[in-house]
Amino acid sequence: MDKKKIARVTSFRYQILALIFILLAGGLVLLPKYQKQEGIKSEALLSHATSPERYISTDQIANKIINKDPSFILIDVREEESFKNYSLPNAINIPLAKLFDEESLPYLNQSQFDVVFFSNDHFYADQAWMLCNRRGFKNLRVLNGGLNTWFTTIINPEKPSQDMPAEAFELYATRKASSMYFGVFYPDQQAVAEESISNTPAPKKVITVQKKKKKPVEGGC
Amino acid sequence: MGPLIPNGLIPMEWDSIIAIIIGIAFGFVLEASGFSSSRKLAGVFYGYDFAVLKVFFTAAAVSVIGIYYMDYLGYLDINQLYVHPTYLWAAIIGGIIMGIGFVAGGFCPGTSLCAVAIGKLDAWVYVGGIMIGVFVFSELYSFFEPIYNGYFLGNITLVDSFGWNPYWVIFIFSIIAIVAFVVSDVVRKKVKKVFYS
Amino acid sequence: MKELEKIKRISIASTLFILAVLIGVLTFERPKNMYAFNTENTLETLTTTSYLISMDELDKNNSVLIDVRSQYEYEKGHLENAINMALPEILTEENQLILNDLKDGKTMVVYGKNVQEANMPFLMLYQLGFTNIKLLSVKLDYLQNKLIVSKEEVEKPVSNIQDFINESVKNSKKPIVLEKVKAEPKRVITVQKKKKKPVEGGC
Repeated sequence: MDKKKIARVTSFRYQILALIFILLAGGLVLLPKYQKQEGIKSEALLSHATSPERYISTDQIANKIINKDPSFILIDVREEESFKNYSLPNAINIPLAKLFDEESLPYLNQSQFDVVFFSNDHFYADQAWMLCNRRGFKNLRVLNGGLNTWFTTIINPEKPSQDMPAEAFELYATRKASSMYFGVFYPDQQAVAEESISNTPAPKKVITVQKKKKKPVEGGC
Repeated sequence: MGPLIPNGLIPMEWDSIIAIIIGIAFGFVLEASGFSSSRKLAGVFYGYDFAVLKVFFTAAAVSVIGIYYMDYLGYLDINQLYVHPTYLWAAIIGGIIMGIGFVAGGFCPGTSLCAVAIGKLDAWVYVGGIMIGVFVFSELYSFFEPIYNGYFLGNITLVDSFGWNPYWVIFIFSIIAIVAFVVSDVVRKKVKKVFYS
Repeated sequence: MKELEKIKRISIASTLFILAVLIGVLTFERPKNMYAFNTENTLETLTTTSYLISMDELDKNNSVLIDVRSQYEYEKGHLENAINMALPEILTEENQLILNDLKDGKTMVVYGKNVQEANMPFLMLYQLGFTNIKLLSVKLDYLQNKLIVSKEEVEKPVSNIQDFINESVKNSKKPIVLEKVKAEPKRVITVQKKKKKPVEGGC
């Protein structure tokens, strides 16, 4: 008796499967749609935003530029006018409004270089950083304090007063030397210039290892 | 979350190994379901066996539904999936050549290798033919190149290029699949049965 | 017998399939704290609207102040009627509840130690869909333990660096040929969208 029942049900098996199939497909149409979440989760973004890891100091950047470190690119997110007036050497101008333009994405969305955003202070740079970070771009940094700090620390470093510790003087000497590298002239140029040459470490060469692009595995029927 | 390899959940170095495992499984299923028989494959064109149509249509429909469910639930990002680039005329001409070969030889390239594995003579001939074809194509590559690399349309999909709603497309697609199955059953009943091993 | 075997297989396969779908649906958890805007919308709003307000423009009756500094700093001194919501905690459930209550009412005004600090929570909350949010352009300092609120302008260059450099060149006694630091522009090898190349399958 039981076997007969099962047999009767199973004789409809293809119809049943077809019905399930249609139902699942129809389910897709009927499911409530919600806007797709772009980029990384908000919790992850927040924890990235909370951490100060993204900041890179002006001294570090100056050091890197002087040593011709090839591992980073500088992105100036200010307007074009300010960029033309002054910018860091070799910086690329991507005004904040054009951050996601077709031509700027290759600079931002790559894994080869560190991307260092900067603006006058780090307000716009942070915004650019956050939006790019949300999109999942890698190796993003922000110049802490931006060009204003760049000016006060590197271009026009404050002379330490007599009662300051020796480190302050050392720091001042390096900063002064780097400011000369970036084109600032001091009245006592000659003496310091010679000194600075011996001070600056020889440019180190960084050979970036390029990841081998895997050849496509072609298949086919 | 997914796709697993592009998102780094499975290291990229594993992809060849995974490919081999999937390939073995694929070959096994092909052989186990009798697709290494050229008569079964050619049956679609003569109307006495629609297993090929049913299997591949079902596979496509089920996987597209599965993928869209996974995308909906956030297990998979559909935008990261690989879309095969379209070379319009190369695809059309290649499709015609493959279709003719399919009807004439009774194999598609994958199943021919399956049949070679179980030692079918006609499959050996078929694979030999493929090799000759490959050789001729490579020798004449400079002549074919404009078609091979031309008419490039990019990684396009029907859904993107026509702006259709993918969910409705899938729904209609599955209805078409069901209708095709029913029709193929009707046709098969009308056509004289052919027995083959 | 063979028929029965086939039926068995089909039913097992379909059960497993349905099970997989069901598990997928049941374990699905709607992510919390969903973004309401994508990055492009946000960028457009950032660059086209003015989201900064100064202390003078602040309409005290019609806005809620949100202090994003740490609780310690908040307790040390804060603006009148401000709610404390430290940056790492803005996504917690209770804070989201508070924020959601404010969503359609008064203007939310975020402030921190300086504008830069409040920038991140502001942007975060905006992307989550709190459109009635503003950023207070103030800077908080302490003078003998008293909170000093001063106005701060964002992205204002302190001085014209190029002029400064030119000036210094002019002032230097010896006319030295200016060696312009000019390294070769870096070539960026664009990583094509990692559409990891074809692992195609066929038939």
